[in-house]
Amino acid sequence: MLYTIIPIEDVLEGLDESPPPTVDVAVHGVLLQVEPLTHFSGRVQRLISSDPQAYLNPQYQPGTILHWT
Amino acid sequence: MEANAQEAAVQAVKQFGQSNLVEDGYSPYHCLTIIGQIEGHMILPPRNKTTKYEHVIPQLVAVEQNPKIKGLLIVLNTVGGDIEAGLAIAEMIKSMKTPTVSLVLGGGHSIGAPIAVAADYSYIAETATITIHPIRLTGLVIGVPQTYEYLDKMQERVIQFIVQNSRIEVETLREMMFRTGELVRDVGTVLVGEEAVRVGLIDGVGGVSEAIDRLHQLVAAREGQGGRK
Repeated sequence: MLYTIIPIEDVLEGLDESPPPTVDVAVHGVLLQVEPLTHFSGRVQRLISSDPQAYLNPQYQPGTILHWT
Repeated sequence: MEANAQEAAVQAVKQFGQSNLVEDGYSPYHCLTIIGQIEGHMILPPRNKTTKYEHVIPQLVAVEQNPKIKGLLIVLNTVGGDIEAGLAIAEMIKSMKTPTVSLVLGGGHSIGAPIAVAADYSYIAETATITIHPIRLTGLVIGVPQTYEYLDKMQERVIQFIVQNSRIEVETLREMMFRTGELVRDVGTVLVGEEAVRVGLIDGVGGVSEAIDRLHQLVAAREGQGGRK
C-alpha cells in the first residue's frame, strides 16, 4: 500500500517491464545478487547477509560494480 | 586497499549522488539518506529512485550495535512510499538507543513524516516541505464497508505514530490531513519549514550544522549518563 504524493500511474509506469536477470555470488561469505554486465563484472543489486556490519560495507552497496577474474 | 576505498567513494557518488560521510570509521556519526520512493514489498519500476527498506533496516541494526558509531543523522528528501516499509524504518529509528537526529531537506512527504519524527530530535530546512494528506486505495477495490474500515485502520497507524513521536495534537494533524483548498487536486496540507515547527510536527528549523550540533549534545548527554554499554 503506497502513501505518496506522486500519482500512482507515474510510480507504476514501466511495471510490466521485467527487471534485469541476476546471479547470486558469494563474496567473503556474503551473498550478493549481481546483475552481470560483462563476463568479468557485474552490478550489485541486493545484499543478503545476516551480518548487519556487511550492510555498512561500501563494497557491498547496491549499485557498486564488482570485477572478478 | 586505499585505491579500492577511493574507487568505492567515487562509485557512491556516481551511483547514488551521495558521498560516504564515514571514511574508515573516523567519523563518529553515520548518515542515512532516505530518498525518492520508500520501496516496500513491490519492486518499483526503475524510473523511480528508491530507498530499499531491506537494506536500511540491517544498516540501522549495525549502527545500533557498533560501539564506534556514536550517533545517526537521517537526511530525508522523500516523496513517500510503502506504508509498511516506512513505518518499519520509523519504528527502528524510534527504538534505537544510539542518538538520532533527522533533517528534512527538500521534502519529507506522506510516509516521510513518521520517519522524520521518529528521531530523537528533528529538523527541517527553511524551504523544505512536508505534505500531510490522507491515505488512499488504488487498483481493484472491493466495494464493501470493510474496505473503508481497513483504510481507516492503515491511516490510524500513521496518525498515531506521528502523534506519539512529536508535539502535534491529534486533532490538528487530522484537520491538516483532510483540509481542502491547500492542494490543487487533493485534500491535505503542505507545511513549509517554520510551519512544520509551529504545529509541533518538527522540533526545529535548521540545516546540517544544527543537526550535527544537536547530535554532539545528545551524545554528550548520553555519555554523561554512563556512556553506551
